[in-house]
Amino acid sequence: MKKYDEKWEDRINALLDGELSDTDAEALKSEASDDRLLARAIIEAYQLQQAMDAVHVERAPASLRKRLNAVPREQNAESRTGFTPRLFQPRWVMALVAVPLAIIAVNLMQPDTPSTAEIAKAPQDLAIAFAYLDRAGSITGREIESNVGHTMADAISGSVNRTIKFSNEHSKEKEV
Amino acid sequence: MSRRYRQWVKEYQDQAWTVARYILKDAQEAEDATQDAFVKLWNNRDKIDPERVKPWLMKVTRNGCLDRLRRRRDNVEFDESHMAGVVSGPMQGLAANEVGVWLKRAIAGLKEPYRSLVVLRDVNQHSYEEVAGMLELNLAQVKTYLHRARKQLREQLAEVRP
Repeated sequence: MKKYDEKWEDRINALLDGELSDTDAEALKSEASDDRLLARAIIEAYQLQQAMDAVHVERAPASLRKRLNAVPREQNAESRTGFTPRLFQPRWVMALVAVPLAIIAVNLMQPDTPSTAEIAKAPQDLAIAFAYLDRAGSITGREIESNVGHTMADAISGSVNRTIKFSNEHSKEKEV
Repeated sequence: MSRRYRQWVKEYQDQAWTVARYILKDAQEAEDATQDAFVKLWNNRDKIDPERVKPWLMKVTRNGCLDRLRRRRDNVEFDESHMAGVVSGPMQGLAANEVGVWLKRAIAGLKEPYRSLVVLRDVNQHSYEEVAGMLELNLAQVKTYLHRARKQLREQLAEVRP
């Protein structure tokens, strides 16, 4: 008696699957007549195949069939409820905030260049401002004089008036 | 498109259910796994080649079941209590056939990928080529593993048969 040969498996299965030619099938059967183990393996394989005929694809239960048929409806409903209007999506909200901020930033970054009319009006504004300052200096001097004395008043009002005069002349030079 | 999906449900629901049933050994979980697979089918319906729907669905069903098995860490071999559900559930037609019931238990008790191979090839009757595609194995591997699985079943059957 031969030892059980693993290679028989391929041939036995091919026999059962109907993949062996008639000649090969006869050769295997004839070999089995001389070998008890092989013969037994073939018989058992046939028995298994017969038993397997009793095992069929199972019918899906009604509850499952119902669930499977409901899949399109449920998935469509899910995708509808999961919908967020475009304007409320985070990226759009961020864009809505970012655009005005960018406009403001661009405006702030613009160089502050005066118009021609503003430049033309500037000396007049300066003259008025200096006149006010001159007057303020004189008033301040009088106030100090009445409180502290003449020397201190001259020192302060003189200093203020000199500063105003200097600034006035300096701006005129710049204009020229 | 919905009509086509319904056609797929009609054609493949039993096969997908059978795969899930054998792998998970739990009716409720098998229903959930089968539904998950069909939800994926619906969501990918425009991407799948209509000719390849069956192998795609079987593969997705099996992979989903194996993921579930991994999650529940079910390394314990077949639990007899599940068979009570089998006999009174969709397998009721086989209750009278002792060999059939025994064989179902034996198949469910096989390790992966042997169990899936036997279910896909011998129960669902898919071709070797289809099974190879579903399990991402080559044809030689499919045959080798299937032969080993059948041999195991054969030997177990020989033990219980007079």
